[in-house]
Amino acid sequence: MSAEVFWFSEQPYGHVTSQDLEPYESGRMHFPNTNFDPEKAHVLYNNYHDQYALADEVGFDGIMSNEHHSAYWCMKPSVNIDAAVLTKVTKRAKIAMLGNVIAVNDPVKMAEEIAMLDCISGGRIISGFVRGTAVETLHAGISPTENRDRFEEAHDLIVKCWTDPGPFRWEGRYFPHRMVNPWVVPMQKPHPPVWFPGTGSPESVIWAAKHQYPYMNLGSLLDLTKQLKDIYFETAHEVGFEPGPQHFGYLMRCLVADTDEEAQEIGRTFLWTEDHRNRGPVEFNDPPGYQSREALRIKMSRPVIGTGTVGRRMSYEDLQEAHNIVVGSPETVIKKLRYVRETLDPGYILIYGNEGNMPHEAVMRSIELLGTKVIPALKED
Amino acid sequence: MTTTQRGNKTSVTVGNTEVELFSGGSGPALLFLHGAGGNTGWQAYHEELSKSHTVYVPSQPGFNGTDRPDWVYTINDVCHFNLDMVQKLGLDQYILMGSSMGGWIAAEMAAMCSHNLKALILVDAAGVKPENTEIAEIFMVSAETRLKQRFHDSAQVANYDQYTRELTPEEQIAEHSNREMASRLCWRPYLHNLSLPNYLTKVLTPTLIVWGKQDAIIPVECAEIYQQAIPNSTLKIIDNCGHSPAVEKPQEFVRTVTEFLSKLV
Repeated sequence: MSAEVFWFSEQPYGHVTSQDLEPYESGRMHFPNTNFDPEKAHVLYNNYHDQYALADEVGFDGIMSNEHHSAYWCMKPSVNIDAAVLTKVTKRAKIAMLGNVIAVNDPVKMAEEIAMLDCISGGRIISGFVRGTAVETLHAGISPTENRDRFEEAHDLIVKCWTDPGPFRWEGRYFPHRMVNPWVVPMQKPHPPVWFPGTGSPESVIWAAKHQYPYMNLGSLLDLTKQLKDIYFETAHEVGFEPGPQHFGYLMRCLVADTDEEAQEIGRTFLWTEDHRNRGPVEFNDPPGYQSREALRIKMSRPVIGTGTVGRRMSYEDLQEAHNIVVGSPETVIKKLRYVRETLDPGYILIYGNEGNMPHEAVMRSIELLGTKVIPALKED
Repeated sequence: MTTTQRGNKTSVTVGNTEVELFSGGSGPALLFLHGAGGNTGWQAYHEELSKSHTVYVPSQPGFNGTDRPDWVYTINDVCHFNLDMVQKLGLDQYILMGSSMGGWIAAEMAAMCSHNLKALILVDAAGVKPENTEIAEIFMVSAETRLKQRFHDSAQVANYDQYTRELTPEEQIAEHSNREMASRLCWRPYLHNLSLPNYLTKVLTPTLIVWGKQDAIIPVECAEIYQQAIPNSTLKIIDNCGHSPAVEKPQEFVRTVTEFLSKLV
């Protein structure tokens, strides 16, 4: 199977520097929003939307979006709003939302909004559900100990909104509704495809496999990703279905330029403020109860598996070696992506295509080269 | 954390949940409820109080490595668990003392069922919302910050190195589970119940409220709110003292408590 290629951007607020972040205890919750200039954000948002439109035009199979809160490196506090933009600036690309932080939102409203997006886009929505980083939960004022249970209940309620005729009653622990009857339902039947992401926690892989949802590995390394894929396949066989490439995606940071030298130079920006992005006490990144005691046990039984790149200190060269960052001329990138495909056989290659203050023109050129040279070469294989 | 060997370690089973229990001494029953940091065992002040009382120091459900009963989500649930425990232990006309989160639980228990209570002692208790100050953040801060918040002057804490040493793997697991359980119980509303002062106006139990004047976690304003709410209450503020008077000012703390207890009919 030829992998589908998706464009992705965090939509960073690229004006922040490491020096700005240095004085604060953490890069997220403590870094004050007085560093945010809405005028500059206006320019950036529109650049990012131009990049979306070009990615659609030059032949990406899809565009992925996400959301984060209290994060200077992701200006998207609502993936549904970004997806709404995508429905209008793109014509044919799939729109993969990875995803809604359903544990900390009203699931009925989520179900309605995603259904609305599916209708507007003509059935192009892939609806990812995420637990979010712990900061998303903290920022929402919700106990991290509730995240897993809330996630599960919200998931079940959203799927019910999409598949069961209303009105119906839902008396869950966290989202009790006595009358549920969303007028708007999705165009895709029985509902839009659901994806589930993770950054290395086996618990997430197992949850995805148990629900037969494709698992997207974000921010990990190629060798660890192979192990996670094995866990997915093992679980799938236990559940009783035959998994394939269509159940697994791999995200990497990728930039293409006309020459290797130029790409190497621009690609260094992928390490923009790397030391600060998730810097903070463990109480922010992995507060007690955010992971189940069971997840901790699984982790201990598979000591090789870490938490993606979080906490690791790897150089630009190391990250390229691990295929976490792929940069180069079209020829170089084609070679490297072929290697990823041969090693992992993912159904989806997710291109994390810009970062920090990468020049907009360089990113546009990268999208063009990916669309006109790299993707066609991969499709021809 | 100066655990003595004199407290007898056993357990008590409530429903299907077994929790550890330290106990010792003789005389009227005194039930002590620990704070969000978990059960640190039989402490020097328990030993002192056990000279005139039978002191019981149970772990709260879900703390110190015990599984959380699947129905225990809130402080209210913990109170019902504890009231069941009081019956299991056969406590009659007992003295209920709670520190920090344990003080909150004790106050709620008193509001639920005070006929069996001889006295209530609240020590730097969570549970009420201050109007002019704030309860400090204890979850979304580092371990170093938590330790700094706890004591006014670490030099007056005996065996302070016990608080800064590296924990054993078993202790780390217990500490992790304590913080998980405390997060579950206290996150929102944060360490308080807006209705609690209203419940307490009907509690006629003799009550002692003890507070460290420099408590950097639960401000002394909360002590005043408790005193105003509970009709038969006395407030004793200990100067040069943070959130844990029993640890930071042990002699003054024990003296205050024993004086109060000695006056009970």
